Amino acid sequence: MAASDYSHLVGRRLPGGTYTLPDYVNWLWEDAILSAHDGDPTHPSLGYHIAIAGLGVSIGEVMALLDGSPDSGVMFGENELEFRGSLRTGATYECEGEITGVERKQGKRAGVFDKLTFRIEVRERGSLTPTVVCTNTWIFPRKADSGD
Amino acid sequence: MTELAVGTRIEPYVVSAVDAEKMKLMAALLQDPNPIHYDVEVVRALHYGDRPINQGPINMAWFMTCAVRFAGGRERLLRTQMRFLGNVFAGERFVAEGTVTAVDAAAGTAELEIACSADGRPVLAGTATIAIG
Repeated sequence: MAASDYSHLVGRRLPGGTYTLPDYVNWLWEDAILSAHDGDPTHPSLGYHIAIAGLGVSIGEVMALLDGSPDSGVMFGENELEFRGSLRTGATYECEGEITGVERKQGKRAGVFDKLTFRIEVRERGSLTPTVVCTNTWIFPRKADSGD
Repeated sequence: MTELAVGTRIEPYVVSAVDAEKMKLMAALLQDPNPIHYDVEVVRALHYGDRPINQGPINMAWFMTCAVRFAGGRERLLRTQMRFLGNVFAGERFVAEGTVTAVDAAAGTAELEIACSADGRPVLAGTATIAIG
């Protein structure tokens, strides 16, 4: 299997930033995932949202790092979330991210694709310990005849 | 929580019909520009099918809800790891279910294996670690 054209991205740090979780976002998130409106602690899936929202780049900008675009069929591959505390509305979280892997693969059904893995640490402001560590793998389909 | 032992079954979490309107809400919350979640023409052009495709984070949330209900509280979920195996389309029946695969009384944790399906097709699989006791 050929090395990915994007393997130079491994080790690149993403800008990072902060995100404060508003009550209304928590409510709407619970609505979207069909969860009870239970307030705090929030549904753990918000760990993903907070990590991405505080990363300092948008989903589209992460896709663009591998020349993916919103309509190019980029899909979720894997996710890992490690919780060392609960997430709360009104709290401000500091996020730091890094690209930890880029691999080129080929599957019978999927054809040629690139796998991007990036890890984000989410700390409540003032804390040294991450509340959540979020690791994502996204799949970037490549056209077989493009030589990508 | 049910008394825990390896092999204990986790009560299934069922969504009887995946709602395309919730995908639009999630796209706005995530600022997710991927049109496969709201534009059927793009889904068709990519040869993925003919209905909007649910966001990975919604499927992830349902996987977690299955574990959280079994654990007895959101704060009891310590870790999840999952692989996305296929797309979940609007209108499909989503089921998350699993079993206890390990219990560590000393550490106060249990390991769950959870598999999710959409209209009977495997779409998501993984593990969860929960606090017990």
